[in-house]
Amino acid sequence: MIHPIQFTLTNHDGTLLFCVIKNTIFAYKTNGEDGHLDLAGEWVDDYDSAELIKAKVEKEQQRRLAENAAKKLKTNEGEAIERPGNQRRVPLPGKDPKVPVPGPGAPPVYQYIRCLQLSHDEKMLVACTDSDKAAVFFRIELHKDNCLTLFKRQPFPKRPNAVTFADDDAKLLLADKFGDVYAVDSVGEPEKKDPEPILGHVSMLTDIALVTDTKKSYVITADRDEHIKISHYPQSFVIDKWLFGHKEFVSSLCVPEWQSSMLFSAGGDSFIATWDWQKGLLMSSFDYSTIVEPHLTDAHLPPARFLANDGSDRREASISKLLTFKDLPYLVAVPEMTKIVLLLQWDATSGELILSQTLALPLNVVSATVTSANHKLILSLDNREQPGKNFVKIFTLENGKFEEEQAASSSVDEAIVRNLSERPEVQTTVDDIYPLYHVSQLRKRGEHYS
Amino acid sequence: MSLTDDQASKRQAYRAAKEANRKELKHVKIDDALPNKSSELDLPKKKFYRQRAHSNPFSDHQLEYPLSPAEMDWSKLYPHYYDAATNTMTKKVTVADIGCGYGGLMVELSRELPENLILGMEIRVQVTNYVEDRIIALRTNHAAQKEYQNINVLRGNAMKFLPNFFEKSQLEKMFFCFPDPHFKQRKHKARIITNTLLSEYAYVLKEGGVIYTITDVLDLHNWMVEHLNMHPLFDRLGDEWLDQDPCVRIMRHATEEGKKVARKQGDKFVACFRRLPNPELV
Repeated sequence: MIHPIQFTLTNHDGTLLFCVIKNTIFAYKTNGEDGHLDLAGEWVDDYDSAELIKAKVEKEQQRRLAENAAKKLKTNEGEAIERPGNQRRVPLPGKDPKVPVPGPGAPPVYQYIRCLQLSHDEKMLVACTDSDKAAVFFRIELHKDNCLTLFKRQPFPKRPNAVTFADDDAKLLLADKFGDVYAVDSVGEPEKKDPEPILGHVSMLTDIALVTDTKKSYVITADRDEHIKISHYPQSFVIDKWLFGHKEFVSSLCVPEWQSSMLFSAGGDSFIATWDWQKGLLMSSFDYSTIVEPHLTDAHLPPARFLANDGSDRREASISKLLTFKDLPYLVAVPEMTKIVLLLQWDATSGELILSQTLALPLNVVSATVTSANHKLILSLDNREQPGKNFVKIFTLENGKFEEEQAASSSVDEAIVRNLSERPEVQTTVDDIYPLYHVSQLRKRGEHYS
Repeated sequence: MSLTDDQASKRQAYRAAKEANRKELKHVKIDDALPNKSSELDLPKKKFYRQRAHSNPFSDHQLEYPLSPAEMDWSKLYPHYYDAATNTMTKKVTVADIGCGYGGLMVELSRELPENLILGMEIRVQVTNYVEDRIIALRTNHAAQKEYQNINVLRGNAMKFLPNFFEKSQLEKMFFCFPDPHFKQRKHKARIITNTLLSEYAYVLKEGGVIYTITDVLDLHNWMVEHLNMHPLFDRLGDEWLDQDPCVRIMRHATEEGKKVARKQGDKFVACFRRLPNPELV
């Protein structure tokens, strides 16, 4: 069977669709009006991290040897003594460093492609890889046989988790799992040594957004510790404010184009928060728990070691993604590991979100993307129980409701089956599917007491 | 075997008694109309509060912290400065001792800065309990003079949750005394002074506010100076300033670590930095 699509991204008018399947990105192009899709490009992350690990181990070995050589000799009484002949020991080359290999029973290592992002002019695509913790830059050149041309691969010290382009696409802002944010040039040679962070949290970063008020630019970062921080950009050392109100992790930020003074945020809380980020006000919060509750399963229970098993254990819902369109005052919210997607309407007079539709799907939603210009929602589904179909569902927003475009959905499915059925690298068995849901595990449980 | 059991139970009994005492006395505003009947409290003994010396600031601790500075209830920590009639605090905390340890600095600062509220933050539970008990004892024993009402301690992770406690520009002074050196290079992010954390300290400090650092580890001193020098919002204060500042004198001599270093005749490195005004923002 073909592996489910882990991540989808489309451009503003829906003519391009990027799908991540295992460690490969596939780019599909719609062919005119009839909705027929062609495979326009692909890229596989076949980076072998063994070399990288070996280089790191070697570096560490050299550092230790140098450190030992620099240490002073001491007598038993603790007094420093000179080395005989006043010579410093030259670090020996040592044996070949031992590269650690995972032992039996170690969790499998996945070559994740964690996220994709298009530049504002849609001529560049950036992907974050787990294998070498890099941001990989592609030029999108549709006239070529393979429209994805890799031109830069910038590794970082820790795994990137979210990226966004600066307004002029010259810089990429990247938030990593260690809490640091980096700004790197979109073009040019990769930086050799580790770049310096421009700002940071002491917590895993989950999302990043770049916004502008009348004059100034700001970078908004969200983390696992309930925090949303707004810093000036590019003077990121000046923090403007924090937005306080979340009690659980924040997983997704969304600044709507139709009202850029607003910010939606959600994550492990039972509500979606609407902020006036310029004033630092929580405008309203929309509680989705009763809507999502009937769609939760035992997979939403806390991990076994946190279960009380006395009937008090509750299924926990989290929002994995928030999306908006360019000009319609709606918000799309995806509750993780469920068969529903929420469509909420922003009511400017009451200043609240109102449920417009609970979109029901045959399978769990894995990833979602929207075409901002023509109001399409593209969902990838966890189709492990229905191999060969229902990879993708496409909907169009009309009169406040999502209507499925069955022809479009099935043409994507057809294209995937047609192109990829014979490809061994995207085949899988049910037991070997990459983990598709990573948001709910961000919930903190206060494991440490002292 | 029996000896260690005996010691453990003694420590447990001591801790339980002190905990009951804390619950009872922590939030009590001692009424000056009443004659001071309560007998003198003994200062807590450190040997009953031993805990391993390090706590990982990145791990997911069971911590209590307010949702935002506005939701913080300071009246329990500084009952003397709480005005029940208006349900407000008459003063705000303006001095923070980050990683206050056993609280020696705060106890001395209490008299030096009587007009300021001083808060110590410490991540180790037993050490925080010790400081709490010490402050309770000091407040009780000096109830007539109303001393030590302006200091208190919180268990918390300042690296993660400082902005949950303090508003923008609230603080005048921040102390970082003998912080964990985290020698290993890969642990450098766990140091309390980093580029990214300095921006958060700059946020809670007001213009002209001062960051005080002291350490006995030269490498760490150089690291802190380098990072503070590099940060656009901080400017180093010269030796003349250090020589005339009473807090620097106290910092050198009053903290537990400072005394220990002096006993061992080690070096102490001090560096202080002033919070500059924000540059013009683009």
